[in-house]
Amino acid sequence: MSRIKDIIEAFQEADYQETLAMLLDYSEVLPEIPDEYVEARNAGYNRVTECETPVFIWVDVKEGKVKIYADAPAESPTVRGFVSLLVDAFDGATPKEIEDAPSYLINSLGLDRKLGTRRMFGLSAVYNRIKNDVKHATQMS
Amino acid sequence: MKEYAHPEVLVNTDWAAAHVDDPKVRIIESDEDVLLYDVGHIEGAVKVDWQTDLQDQLIRDYVNRDKFEKLMSEKGISNDTTAVFYGDRNNWWACYAFWVFKLFGHEKCLIINGGRQKWVEEGRPLTKEVKEYPKTDYQVSGTDESIRAFRDDVTVHMGSGKPLIDVRSPKEYSGELLHMEAYPQEGALRGGHIPGAANVPWATAANENGTFKSADELRSIYMESKGLKTDDEVIAYCRIGERSSHTWFVLTYLLGFERTRNYDGSWTEWGNLVRVPIERP
Repeated sequence: MSRIKDIIEAFQEADYQETLAMLLDYSEVLPEIPDEYVEARNAGYNRVTECETPVFIWVDVKEGKVKIYADAPAESPTVRGFVSLLVDAFDGATPKEIEDAPSYLINSLGLDRKLGTRRMFGLSAVYNRIKNDVKHATQMS
Repeated sequence: MKEYAHPEVLVNTDWAAAHVDDPKVRIIESDEDVLLYDVGHIEGAVKVDWQTDLQDQLIRDYVNRDKFEKLMSEKGISNDTTAVFYGDRNNWWACYAFWVFKLFGHEKCLIINGGRQKWVEEGRPLTKEVKEYPKTDYQVSGTDESIRAFRDDVTVHMGSGKPLIDVRSPKEYSGELLHMEAYPQEGALRGGHIPGAANVPWATAANENGTFKSADELRSIYMESKGLKTDDEVIAYCRIGERSSHTWFVLTYLLGFERTRNYDGSWTEWGNLVRVPIERP
């Protein structure tokens, strides 16, 4: 079973408070981006512009595995938590696993129902960015 | 803050720090980010979430009276408690919660000028401890619908040429954007604005540090530039009625407008209605 399926299962079983707690935990464990990306981030490169919160994502596919680095501000813990969840789910996955991941991940996780749909638009954009980048990188190679 | 029409509704961060233990006061954090309170908040503060606590999850409306009373009871808020709001993004959501509390007729409501941003920038402490308060017997004594406009009210208002303030971004106002980018579910089928509405983006009223602009600056923005008068009936709207609650607060309390209403249906209602008039520049 892929990592994303485990995560979806855990979120589907969680109630409102548990969902918040899991996202909060995720927001605290997002790995730092490597030093060489800090300058690019500060210059505004690789930003997911559709998301109101400044989210930065670098996606690469090497030797059949997806590598993801991402950054989101600590002042936006929901977005940061979700970005961290995506890194947990997809960093090290195969492009096929990402292609097969649900189109409407937010709904699969139940976040729209629990946190309200109005909060979810930016998050969808971040997820779609990863999916598209992986698709693009796979087609190029 | 003295020059504002109702300076008594604003407190500063010093005041908030001095009242964290005051049993007559309940400090309430309302943020756009549902997790921000959990990361750390002012000591003793409770969280009220604009969406999961204040809005009905089925019907597009606010929670009913019973649910509001239950919420107040759980947060340890009595009818005579002074509710002191603060939050992220220039107190955008704090003003929204303030407005909803006023809808339910809660009498004593204050805003911490500068909100969360100012508190944090001043290096004041945040805690993760969620304080529990004894339940109260809160009773909604009467709702105040005079601060809320429904679409039929807006139609009449527009027809009689009374002022409307559209507080969205200029691109949303002009109709260039049908929704905020990548926010298709919050969109409308038509772009533009309600005929006759003037555009004053909501954040124009805030300083960079999250505090409200001075009374003189606010008068210049709303009264001198847009020709509004304090005895005008004004309706403010945005996309879903949250940004416009900030403008409603500014007009009502800081400038002393006596008859300002917030149209919470806003563009996500108006821009989807059949046969309502729409204007594009």
